[in-house]
Amino acid sequence: MTTDALVDVSVVINGTLRRMTVHPGDTVLQTLRDDLGLTGTKEGCVEGECGACTVLLDDEPVDSCLLATAAVDGRRIRTVESLSTGDELGPLQKAFLDHGAVQCGFCTPGFLMTLTALLEHNPTPSRSDIREAISGNICRCTGYSQMIEAVVAAADGEEER
Amino acid sequence: MTRTVGTSAVRSDGDAKVRGAARFGVDVVLPGMLHAKLLRSPVPAGRLMRIDTSAAEAIDGVHAVVTAADAPNERTGIVMFDMPLFAADYVAYEGEPLAAVVADTPRIAQAALAAIQFEIEPLEPVATPESALEPGARLVHPGWSDFGGTGGGQWPRYGNVVAETTSDPGDVDAAFAVADLVVEGTYRGPRQYQAYLEPKMAVAEYEAGRYTVHVSHQYPFNVRDRVAQTLGVAKSAVRVIGHHIGGGFGAKLDIGLEAYAALLAKRTGRPVKMVNSAHEELLTAPCRENAVVRIRSALRRDGTVLAQDVDVVFDSGAYAIDAPYLTSIPMFMFGSIYRVGTARVRARAVYTNTTPTGAFRGVSGPYLVFALERHMDEIANELGRDRREYRLASLSDDGHQMLNGQVLGDASIMREAFDVLERRAPWSDLGRGSYRGVGMAGAIWLTNPAPAQATVKLNEDGTLGVITAATDNGSGAVTTGIRQIAAEGLGLPVDRVVVTMPDTDTAGYDAGSQGSRTTHVVGRAVRDATAQVRQKILEIASSMLEASADDLIIEDGNVQVIGVPTSFVTLADVAMTATFTDGPIAAAASYKTPPPEHNPTCASGMLLPTWPTPTYHLHIAEVEVDPVTGKVTVLRYLVAQEVGGVINPNSITGQIQGGVTQGLGYALWERLEIDGGRYRQRTWETYGLPLAVDVPDVEVELMAHAAEAGPYGAKGVAEPPVVPVGAAIANAVADAIGAPIDRLPITPQVVLEALERRQLGASCASRS
Repeated sequence: MTTDALVDVSVVINGTLRRMTVHPGDTVLQTLRDDLGLTGTKEGCVEGECGACTVLLDDEPVDSCLLATAAVDGRRIRTVESLSTGDELGPLQKAFLDHGAVQCGFCTPGFLMTLTALLEHNPTPSRSDIREAISGNICRCTGYSQMIEAVVAAADGEEER
Repeated sequence: MTRTVGTSAVRSDGDAKVRGAARFGVDVVLPGMLHAKLLRSPVPAGRLMRIDTSAAEAIDGVHAVVTAADAPNERTGIVMFDMPLFAADYVAYEGEPLAAVVADTPRIAQAALAAIQFEIEPLEPVATPESALEPGARLVHPGWSDFGGTGGGQWPRYGNVVAETTSDPGDVDAAFAVADLVVEGTYRGPRQYQAYLEPKMAVAEYEAGRYTVHVSHQYPFNVRDRVAQTLGVAKSAVRVIGHHIGGGFGAKLDIGLEAYAALLAKRTGRPVKMVNSAHEELLTAPCRENAVVRIRSALRRDGTVLAQDVDVVFDSGAYAIDAPYLTSIPMFMFGSIYRVGTARVRARAVYTNTTPTGAFRGVSGPYLVFALERHMDEIANELGRDRREYRLASLSDDGHQMLNGQVLGDASIMREAFDVLERRAPWSDLGRGSYRGVGMAGAIWLTNPAPAQATVKLNEDGTLGVITAATDNGSGAVTTGIRQIAAEGLGLPVDRVVVTMPDTDTAGYDAGSQGSRTTHVVGRAVRDATAQVRQKILEIASSMLEASADDLIIEDGNVQVIGVPTSFVTLADVAMTATFTDGPIAAAASYKTPPPEHNPTCASGMLLPTWPTPTYHLHIAEVEVDPVTGKVTVLRYLVAQEVGGVINPNSITGQIQGGVTQGLGYALWERLEIDGGRYRQRTWETYGLPLAVDVPDVEVELMAHAAEAGPYGAKGVAEPPVVPVGAAIANAVADAIGAPIDRLPITPQVVLEALERRQLGASCASRS
């Protein structure tokens, strides 16, 4: 059994400072799901290929399955749970529903985080910008087209009208 | 009246899914829950000489370690009873379970696996179907003739052959004897991994003699039956509760971890959770079977096919699962959309020491259509005919009889598909330019007929409840289609219909999400039950309004006297009145598609005797090939699909785009290659799934020919878009490079080798 010393970390998760004691081997994904109950972030391939576990680390999308919690002391993390305000869905979330961009939904949180970062960096992406941005995420259901339509609509502000 | 059928209603689980709030199987947590992991064989074949679990059992936090010695270990299966829970003395494939550890945490369980000591004396694996069929090949299962099966297992099998289906009308050889021309080809399809994102899981509890199993599974009633069969208990001793499914595509139709979790829950008296790792999934998922298809066609000079001789051999892997059903599929792919005078078709499923193959969306279809449609191109090229024109001349007409004697009353829909795509993208305009090519492929597919029961109730607030064990593995069939069908029956907005999640204790039998059956079969049961509910509503409202039921309409959640808008009662009023007078309003209905007329003597070994509620499909692909790198780029992809009545346009578009994308993966990138009984591709990265930058937006033309029996005309939609893609792409690549393609996926290496063969062929020809 592991005898490694536990590590104290402070991380701002979805706007709230969390002080935690974790195993040095714990990943951000494990901490989010198992310790904090933030199960919206999903475990897929655990090799950094599928993107189901994508979260934002200081506004950049990262694979939380490969990231040690001990290594993110003092930094900010955002998950899918941060995208809505109470009952109100965020514009990307609404656009995903309206355009049929969700099928099984297991990859959806990861895509939403990747795309949130895209739109923060580039509020009016072209279709090929969108395809490039999501090519670190795998969706086995949709074939991507309806997701791309959803992002275009969200970027146009269609969901606020 | 509110129309909901035909609108792109939003899926009922969508809000929870975009919030990350939807509870998938892997998210299920029960109080006091333990965690279990499987020890799996590292070798594909061998004798298990010894297994010692004592060191693992001694680890702090380990509750039990179980092997074949202390588990019910009868061989079981859905058709052939050949699969043990744990390998006892013989290992049949890499990844076969040897033992299970249950512990306080997944980490401890994983560590304890490493402490189990075992010894396997490796055997040379029977690694390919070809070697399995060789005379004197080692039997993968020496005791196969003692294995039971459904119906007594009485279908053709011998040696390493699990199942064989044969249609031999007897006049085939005579036709070859008089042919002007014989064209033949051999075509190979790879294993394809379903690659759903949520791994297989199970959480089981045992209480008072009953097991409750939480799953994310396409077919909860099959889990009930297979857990009962495996553990040797009554079906009624197992309750299966379904949660959101993170993709399945056929891999979650047979049991996976459920029986192990149930066994360990009883053993420990605690709930037990099991989740496969992504690596375990890739190694052990029941992927699409690798296959070899040989076709010979006897032709008259005018292009008429006098006879076709087809031989299909596919790899069942170490166990049968549904392979005895799949040997029937070739009987429906050949001699259906294109006329053949007569046809001999022989299909065999073969045991090997590899991971058992199984169901993947459009079972067997992609490689059968690849073979058939590559062959059509080769015939046309041989005859010097345009490939589209030759197909049009060969199409079957209404009234065409398939090889099982079943008559296709609507075969001419295929001709309509050719017209529809020609209007959108004229054939002669496509594939022009250097290293550009165009290909087409047609297909017929079925709507799975398996049974459903559904209950519809009017809730006391005027909403409708639908109780069903049908599952939605992403398609929207339940979360949009079933709700829309129920809503339409009462003219309600779709958000006033609530559908249950599956629970085998409370819902009637349902055959699961397979073969695009849910909207057609479950939808029909829901439509019929809703019609009965409607009748009861009118009866109650009739007495409340003192009007004849014939004078009432249901509109916007009210029952109103026709022409008297002020004279109405709400559905909530009707429900409350009914509940406290006659009793609550509810109705149940069952449906199973009746088998089409056919002739059972046409073929032997047909476990799937008919092809009910057929649909027709034509795909056209335009590609560009880089002759230096061998890379294939898909420029345009067009689909004409017959869908019956349209229930939800957005869902249909999503199924076609998603199905074609899986087909493009099969055509160009995805493969599990076998080397000495083990997969070469062992990670997601090496497997080669399609990404957003790899696939075009599919151009879709829907053809709607309502199915009389279907709810609002609906037929199966979701499976078939994957079926013709490999064929259409291969034909386009062959056209682009001027060289035949006889295997999938068409990796850059396959392209470059084909180009090289063409060059060599050209230089030889010029010397002569």
